[in-house]
This record gives sequence, structure tokens and C-alpha cells, in this order.
Amino acid sequence: MLNTNKIRSDFKLLSGEKKPVYFDSACMSLKPNTVVEAMNEYYFSYPACAGRSSHKLGDKATKKVKETRELIANFINAKSEKEIIFTRNTTEGINLLANSFSFKNGDVVLITDKEHNSNLVPWLRLRDKLGIVLKKIPSNDDNTFNLEKFSELVKGAKFVSVVHTSNLDGATNPAKEIIELAHKAGALVHLDCAQSIAHQKIDVRKLNVDFLSFSGHKMCGPTGTGVFYGRQRLLEELSPFLVGGDTVLFSTYDSYEMLPVPEKFEAGLQDYAGIIGLGEAVKYLSQFDFEDIRAHEFEINKYVTESLEKFPQIKIIGPKDPTLRSGIVNFYIENTDMHKFAIMLDEMQGIAIRTGQHCVHSWFHAKKIYNSLRVSVYIYNTMDEAKIFVETLTKILKII
Amino acid sequence: MPCIVALIVFGIMGIFSASQRALALEALDCVFRRVTFRACNTGFTEKVKGKLLAKVLKRSTFLAKVLNKYYEIFSWIFFILMVGSTIWVLRGVYNFYVFGSCNGLNSTGFCAFDPNGENNKVTPLGDGETCGITQKTEKTVTLKNVDLSSFPVKNVGSKNTVVFIGCYACDYSRKAYPDILKLVEKKNADFIFAHYPAKGDVTNKLADVGYCVNRDYKDKFWDWNSYLFEIDKNYILDPKNLDTMLTKFNFDVKKVEECANSPETKTAVDAQVKELNKTNIYGTPTIFINEKAFVGPKPYRVYRSAINKFIFF
Repeated sequence: MLNTNKIRSDFKLLSGEKKPVYFDSACMSLKPNTVVEAMNEYYFSYPACAGRSSHKLGDKATKKVKETRELIANFINAKSEKEIIFTRNTTEGINLLANSFSFKNGDVVLITDKEHNSNLVPWLRLRDKLGIVLKKIPSNDDNTFNLEKFSELVKGAKFVSVVHTSNLDGATNPAKEIIELAHKAGALVHLDCAQSIAHQKIDVRKLNVDFLSFSGHKMCGPTGTGVFYGRQRLLEELSPFLVGGDTVLFSTYDSYEMLPVPEKFEAGLQDYAGIIGLGEAVKYLSQFDFEDIRAHEFEINKYVTESLEKFPQIKIIGPKDPTLRSGIVNFYIENTDMHKFAIMLDEMQGIAIRTGQHCVHSWFHAKKIYNSLRVSVYIYNTMDEAKIFVETLTKILKII
Repeated sequence: MPCIVALIVFGIMGIFSASQRALALEALDCVFRRVTFRACNTGFTEKVKGKLLAKVLKRSTFLAKVLNKYYEIFSWIFFILMVGSTIWVLRGVYNFYVFGSCNGLNSTGFCAFDPNGENNKVTPLGDGETCGITQKTEKTVTLKNVDLSSFPVKNVGSKNTVVFIGCYACDYSRKAYPDILKLVEKKNADFIFAHYPAKGDVTNKLADVGYCVNRDYKDKFWDWNSYLFEIDKNYILDPKNLDTMLTKFNFDVKKVEECANSPETKTAVDAQVKELNKTNIYGTPTIFINEKAFVGPKPYRVYRSAINKFIFF
């Protein structure tokens, strides 16, 4: 069981006098003090280039970056730290894949019907540029993954790129089954773990996934950091789309030799402070049992869901069962712009909550839903906060 | 509608605050989209509505409910009020520019630009006939049927006529006189000066003397007149100084004294005052510019606007 009081004391924002009710962790998690301190330490004590400068400061930066790569490899149980590529975020990871893999005209790529724009637009662009065939896997009525449909569609597909846990409704797709079916059909699989990485144990070897990407900012890490994982053999086959400084062993006026993985994908000077901060975030999260995190989120989700179900006008997106929706409760009222709800919750009780289409515009357009209000909780949220949210929302619903 | 209101409000507030400027830009985008028949996609209207509702809901659920239900109507009401008050403010600015008072010509109501009412202060005149029952206003002040032929005049034949009714010993007349003189010189206007003895015997005496100086020393009258408005008020109020003043202009003191004390002069000056009373003036200075009356010492621009015919309403 999580010690929420102890956890909250690790976050400066939650230790002050005016504490917000932060319910927007699906967009951006808060950062523990240790992460910020580690980044400050880099800037204050050894603000040097990693991997190239041979002085002591450079050595320390190199060592810290290497340590972070190892930490992340262990965190997701990768075979080697060479399978860890630092990116700016999940979006960059998916773009790296879409632009580096040898796709060609007619290749079939499968995605779900509720992908974040990060895992939709790069493929749409590839469809327009190369002529790949992009197919979407329709979800079940309750927005859960339709394995039956998938098993039909995957035949003949070259690639499957699906979201692991959806930021739309918190539902987690059955990654293991998807990967097994895809591999059987001869397709490779990429998992978008932006939303799942901070909420459940990700074991790339158990999953047997080929590629995977996630962001640092949703897992207590700094903004502008992310990771793209790929099996080493597959990574070696990819042709990087971003090249230049730090990606080559040498160059002449008319030739160059690329560095091995992972360096060949990390062009230009990296965000060392961010990478080191990400390492601290991984260390921070590693102290928790993910089952405890899940139980904590489900408890709050259950309370919020049951409270919202008392209002007939409220429609919750995704499966009815809160235990299937991680820490997310995304809801809307038909023909109502939910934007003002978010403003009012913030103005009245400092409740930070996300409204809009959550970068899943395609789903909202298809369903003809204007927008929704998304509660997303994490380790530092409490039941008291959930009660404040429900009370305030009840007040608002009385007048609207 | 709310975004139009917000654009105007935040636009004005944005002059002073950068954060309001950002809201004004958001409102502008919203207005632009609405006038081009597109939906406002910034969520601006909802944002403003949400902020307002939250503030009201903290105090009263009922009021918040009413505001939410009739939000569009309230927006229209505020829009109309805002347009009305803007017109009112513009009218006030216009009035202040051309009349020296936000409330209109010679109006003594409160004006933010002239909080002490300096532009409308007058030296009041006693009114034996009405005993204060009828408050005279500039609407009744007129030159109609008033014979000004016996008063000093210069620049005869000009297309513009300025009539100054003032008193040498009155502060507000003394304040206005230099501006009127400047205007007359600049526009070469027909200028009639009438001294109204508003402060009893001493000013009566100056009226008599003025009458005689104009009659006997026409070419020097205007210098004498200006001198009386320029020199210290207390000095001219002291009868002992009259001879010294007359000597200064090389007037024949004895002759002027005799003229001033003569019954003919008294009759003529009384007749002049009677004519001035026909104008219904209630204080000095009262200035007529092309027959429009300005009561009290106005800023120079007011006189200039009047003579340049910048007054449209």
C-alpha cells in the first residue's frame, strides 16, 4: 500500500500552503524534488558534454548518461542498454520508427481506432508519402481492444503500432496477445507506452515486443525526455532519419561511417540534464511496487466513477468497470462544451483537470463528441482530493 | 456576443496589463471567427463564462444558476450598457473639449476633467427682480433686443463678433479676459466690451470712468481696459489709486472725474447696465461669441472652437 503522505512530501508543489488538486497526470506527472535536484546538480556541478569531452566534468556527464541508460534498460528489462535510445518524447520515438524502418508502397500497418495523434499522424504521413496501407482496428462497443477483429486484420500486415494504455479512457490493450498474434502473422509490433510506463510494470522481454516508446514527463521525469526501445538486431537494421553530430564514427568530404546503436540514433548534443533527471525519475519509481500503484489508482477511480454514475447526464468514456481504466476517468455531457467545467473546477478549488479532445481528435470526430473532461490520478493523489473534486463538480452540475 | 464585450473590455484593460492583452487577442480571434461565420475555437467564451460562474457560485448557487441560464441575455445587457456608457463618455470628452464642461455648455455638474468646476465659476450678480426664485441658465442668456451701441467696440465690420461682459474687479472675468483678447486679435473679430459693476460702489465708479475714457480718449480706451484687468485687483478697488492710474495714461484727471460724476454719465451708465440686464446674465464673465453665450472663464480652446464653428451639437 502506498504511503501517500510520504509521497506527497517528495513533491514541492504538494508540500506548500496552496496545494492544487492535481488531476492531470495523464498529460504531465508532477516531478519529485530529487529529479529537479539532479538536473540542477548537472547544471551547477558538471555542465559538460557527455561522450566526447575527456576532462573530469565531461567524464562525469558521460558516466551519468550511461548510468541512466542502464537504469532504463533494467526498468523495462531490456537485454542491453544498447537497446535504449534517448528521444524528446514518445512522438519523436514513433517518428524515428516510421521514418527509419524500411516501409515501402503497399505495406500494411495496423493501428487502433483510438490512437493519440503521435501514433496516427506519422502513419498517415507515411501513407501519403510512401503509399503504405494504414488500417485501423475497430474497438469493441465499450472501447476495449477487439482481439477477434485484430486477428483477422493482422494477416498480411507488416507492422502493428498500438497504444498500450489509452490516454482517452485508461483502458489497457492486451499487449502480450497482440504481440503473439502479430508475430504469428509475421508482423512486427511497436507499443506506445506513454500512458502505461508509469502505471504498470513493463517488461519488454516478457512481452516480446519489437519496439516501444515512452515519455519522461508522464513518469515523474523532466519534459522533453523520452525513450525509444528496439530489439538490438532490429535497431541495427534501421536507417536513422536524423543524422549529424554524435551519430558518426568519422567522416570525410565524401563519406562517413555511422556509430553503432544506440548512438547512431541520437543526433546532436543531447539534453543531458533531462536524461539525468529521467534517470532519477526511474530510480524514484523503482521504489514502488506497481501493484500498489494500480490498487491506489483503482481505489480513487472507483470512488470517482461511482460518484459520477449518480448523474444520468454524465457519460464515461471507455469500459464501465473502473478497474479496467487505470487512473483515468474521462467523461462528457452530450452537446455540452466541457471547457467551462475545467475552468470552474480550477477557479473554485484549484482542481487541475484536462479538457478537450486529448490529442485523440480522430476518435472524437468519429463519435461526434465535442470534448470531454479527464480526471487522471497518480501516486500522489488522495481520496480526500477525489472527494473535493466530486463535491465541487456536484455543485457545478446543480447550476448547469 | 460575450466575445465582443470581452474584446472591448480586455482591449481597454490591455493598455495597462500584458495578461489582459493576451485575453484581448484571444477575444479578437474569437470575434474574427464569429464574423466570418466560424465557430470560436479558442474556448474563450467558455473560459470567461466558467471564470464568472465559478466566482458567483462560490457565493450563491441561485445567482450562478440564473447567470448560467441567462448568460447570453446578460451579455447583451452589458454590451448595451457598455455601448451606452462609451457614448456617454465620448460625449463628455467632446463637451469638455468644446464647452469646458463634461455636461455641456455652462453646466456646473461634476466633470472628472474639471473636478472643481473652474471652467464654470462666475461672480454672481444680484437679482432684485426674481429674488432668486428663477434660476437663470445660459439658455435664457441672449443678446436679442439688447442695444450694445453705447459700449466700446473695435474691429467693426468683422464676420465674427465677440461680446465680453465682465467686471474689472472679478477674479473670473480677469481670468477670461486675456484669452478673449488673444482670440479677438487672432481672428480680428468685432469686439464689444461691457463692464458690469458686479461689486458695488468701486466697480460702479470704474464703470463711470470707463464710460468717460471711451467717450473722450477713444484711442487709448483699450490700453486702459487691459491695464485694469492686468493690475492687482486690490489696487483698482482702492478709490485713492484712481487718480494715479488716470495720470499714468496722461488723461486729464479733473476732466475725467467731472465727467464720471456728472448726472449725464450716471444716466448713460445706468442705461448700459439696464441693457446688460436684458441679456439675463447671472454672473460675470459672460462672453458671447457670435451670439452664443459662454458663462464663466473657459479654456482658450473653447472660445477657439466656438469661433471656428467646431461645435456640432
